[in-house]
Amino acid sequence: MATLDELMELPGAMAAFEFRGSGELLEQRIAYPERINESTLDLLAHMCAANMSIATMQARGWEKVTHMKGFYPIQEFTLVGFDWSVVVSGLDRERFKDRGKASLPPFTGVVLANEKADYEAAFFTMEKPEPAP
Amino acid sequence: MSIVTDLLAKPGVIAAGEYAYRGDRFSYRGALSEEHARMASIMCRATTMGANMEGRMLEVFQPRSGLFPPRGWVVHGPEYTVCVMANVFCMLDNAKGSINGTIDFMTQALAKVSSDLI
Repeated sequence: MATLDELMELPGAMAAFEFRGSGELLEQRIAYPERINESTLDLLAHMCAANMSIATMQARGWEKVTHMKGFYPIQEFTLVGFDWSVVVSGLDRERFKDRGKASLPPFTGVVLANEKADYEAAFFTMEKPEPAP
Repeated sequence: MSIVTDLLAKPGVIAAGEYAYRGDRFSYRGALSEEHARMASIMCRATTMGANMEGRMLEVFQPRSGLFPPRGWVVHGPEYTVCVMANVFCMLDNAKGSINGTIDFMTQALAKVSSDLI
């Protein structure tokens, strides 16, 4: 699982955050407090939780209807705005589910400035497995 | 060439299409049946509408947020990625295509498309 500090090292990172499946903001790092504040991130976290749930529902339905595989589980959802993008990942939660764990880790998210955003690098960082204990 | 034709010529793109914001028509090219393309168009349109509503809400909450107006969204699965910008969607094979390249191409090609109809 990528730490918030690792996410803040991504090109163009403006903020990184963790949130519950229900959307509550748990922890955050903010590079530009005059542009993004904690309450904005909290609303964004709720939006991202909703989008992850909808995308997951759609991916499951899509695979059932079309018999195409490879869409589910959703690894990241990205909202591309005019100047910024937000990337959120729930892959760690899927890994915990695969291991039969009932208590799941939070979602992670990062806000990126589009002019520097490297979406593939963000996905790679967020998909990095936890180091073996 | 249309953006859908351009997208389909890119490595890893398995299908691409366009939908009307008002939901009454769609077109597509690539490895999908007509019925599955219709379903993809409906899902993409619904998520785009939701993302635009969320962007407006966020703008009220914090004016001049860089997320407004939304340009599109991306869903990244284990083997395939769906990229949607404005009213154009694209399905990409992760192993063969470039997600950064596809997002850059779509955002540039659709930069001047108005979102007024949403």
